[in-house]
Amino acid sequence: MDLARLQFALTAGAHFLFVALTLGLATLVAVVQTRATSTGSPLHMRMTRFWGQLYIINYAMGIVTGLVMEFQLGLSWSGLTEYAGNVFGSALAIETLVAFFIESTFLGLWIFGWNKLNRWAHLALIWIVTLTAYASAFWIMIANGFLQNPVGHVVEGGTLRLVDFGAMVANPAAQVAFLHILSGAMIVGGFFMAGVSAYHLRKRTDEQDFFRKSLRIGIGVALPATFFAASFGGMSFETLQPTKIAAWVGSPERLAEAQAQMVARFGPGDYLPPVEWVQGGGLTMVILFVVMMLVATVSCVLMAFRAAVRGFRLWHGLLTLMIPVPFVTMIAGWIFREMGRQPWAVYGLLKTADAMSPVTEAQMRFSITAFAAVFSVLIVINYWLLARHARRGPGAVALGDRPIDAPVPAPTF
Amino acid sequence: MEIFILAFFALGYLVLAGADIGVGMTLPYLGRSAAERREVIAAIAPFFLGNEVWLVATGGVLVGLFPELEGELLSGNYTLVVTLLLAWVVRDMGLWLRGRLPGSGWQTFWDGAVVAGSWGLALSWGLLLSHVLLGMEGPVAVLPALVLAALFATHGLTFAALRLRGVLRERAAVLSGGAGHGSSVGPGVDVRTYALTSAALLTVGTLAGLQLPLHPGPAGSFLVPVILVLIPPLVAAQGWVWWTFRHRVTGPSYL
Repeated sequence: MDLARLQFALTAGAHFLFVALTLGLATLVAVVQTRATSTGSPLHMRMTRFWGQLYIINYAMGIVTGLVMEFQLGLSWSGLTEYAGNVFGSALAIETLVAFFIESTFLGLWIFGWNKLNRWAHLALIWIVTLTAYASAFWIMIANGFLQNPVGHVVEGGTLRLVDFGAMVANPAAQVAFLHILSGAMIVGGFFMAGVSAYHLRKRTDEQDFFRKSLRIGIGVALPATFFAASFGGMSFETLQPTKIAAWVGSPERLAEAQAQMVARFGPGDYLPPVEWVQGGGLTMVILFVVMMLVATVSCVLMAFRAAVRGFRLWHGLLTLMIPVPFVTMIAGWIFREMGRQPWAVYGLLKTADAMSPVTEAQMRFSITAFAAVFSVLIVINYWLLARHARRGPGAVALGDRPIDAPVPAPTF
Repeated sequence: MEIFILAFFALGYLVLAGADIGVGMTLPYLGRSAAERREVIAAIAPFFLGNEVWLVATGGVLVGLFPELEGELLSGNYTLVVTLLLAWVVRDMGLWLRGRLPGSGWQTFWDGAVVAGSWGLALSWGLLLSHVLLGMEGPVAVLPALVLAALFATHGLTFAALRLRGVLRERAAVLSGGAGHGSSVGPGVDVRTYALTSAALLTVGTLAGLQLPLHPGPAGSFLVPVILVLIPPLVAAQGWVWWTFRHRVTGPSYL
């Protein structure tokens, strides 16, 4: 079981890193392309292509980790899908159709339809891609919210059945978390854009105007996003399970009290999540959040001064160093939320230990080794490529380039 | 109705993605130089993202409407499904990464990943379908799996014949008698051979589906109407892609 959990955690964690940047960057690209399309500004079109290509390089890893995650539910956690699939499976089904299907279809059209489609149709595509990415996150959080705080179901014949779809969708444990994560993704995207731009400003590359504008957009999005993330994060504390709260507070009395309550409800057993993980995740998230808010606030003031944007190289360096911080914060928050749910797969209904598929340890070892090997190589290559393209700047972007005409093949008759 | 929905997405995947998998399998045959391979990949580039989501949708439909079958099917074929996923990941990353750096070593390496991933996908599907359809497992299943892989490859060739021009199209049309005739053979022949291999894949998929214990869960009463409403816009979105890229490939794409 530990292997199955580790495998799912690694896949989901990797996926989470990529989708966070996807959500944030897609929004920024859509905004910049709107400006480019409505004003016809060549600079904004070049920005769309540059940031758009970084978005696509990142998206590719998001999609392949997402595929593996979707099928892992049935592979390693068939106990969960058999028991609760009739309820949270609905949210996953809607996610694949409303979000994933449309998002991928239109993203293909956006990438390969460049210079082929009407520019307003092309702009509509990136907005649909962005909104369906939000929809994807929304329905995944509905499914996750059900696992955290099951509502809208009845227990029937040993499995769950959905009786109130509205209650499942309105689940506060899902709604608040969705808004929190969406804000988090905007922080990731904003700091990414600001950090890459600051790199170019610091190195004094040719594209000063391009990156001054990008830096302002990045900070301009990241700062408000930190406030939203904090508000929704604070609100989500109201929806936390008593055992998670007890682990977060960490006092022996609270833990003993939560444990006693759970024993009274569910019979003997150990119902406490791993305290170190919950506290470590939660603390990391909160501390890094404060760092990000400070940096974003100071940066917002500094970017009002043209001289600072042009030449304050220490600040540029700091912004570039900040790029990984929102990613680490996202992962820490996710560890806090998911570790804090243990030992439950569906809180109060199904234990993680009972959710596993009847697969052998040898099978599990094979799959985790293979997935870990393939993904670690691909993730390293992908981040290296992302960094390389970010460093090379807008001069070397292939996305949206006019198609190079191939030599016309000689007629054969 | 639940069974119709599942069949719609699963069979849609086999026919549509079967073509891009087949093109990946036959890439070394179709494209003899790096430039040719890039043009062959341009034949599937706008489609592969929109094609593979049919399987994502199939997975979503399975977990929503047939959660019990989903668990049995996936965990019951654990090693095979894991292999299929790995091949899928390798194929996709090959496509995404090959054009991102100029070096010929880099591109040849990722072209190799596309070919290996496509073969891995086709053979995993072959083994999986043989298991479901004929109840065969282990070494004996390799024979029907190879037959099915050959069907994927042929289907890929018929799709490539529809999308490519000149010498590349002639190579793709080798099995349908297009070679040597060049452009004197109209697109009608290409469409008919593509329809033929599609029908073969549909038949295999349908027969395999009939062997499955298709007992829908209770979520259908709510979920089926939702999905039926969604299908027309989904098909329209895909139709837009097919319409935009209805012409033969004239040069390399972003990939």
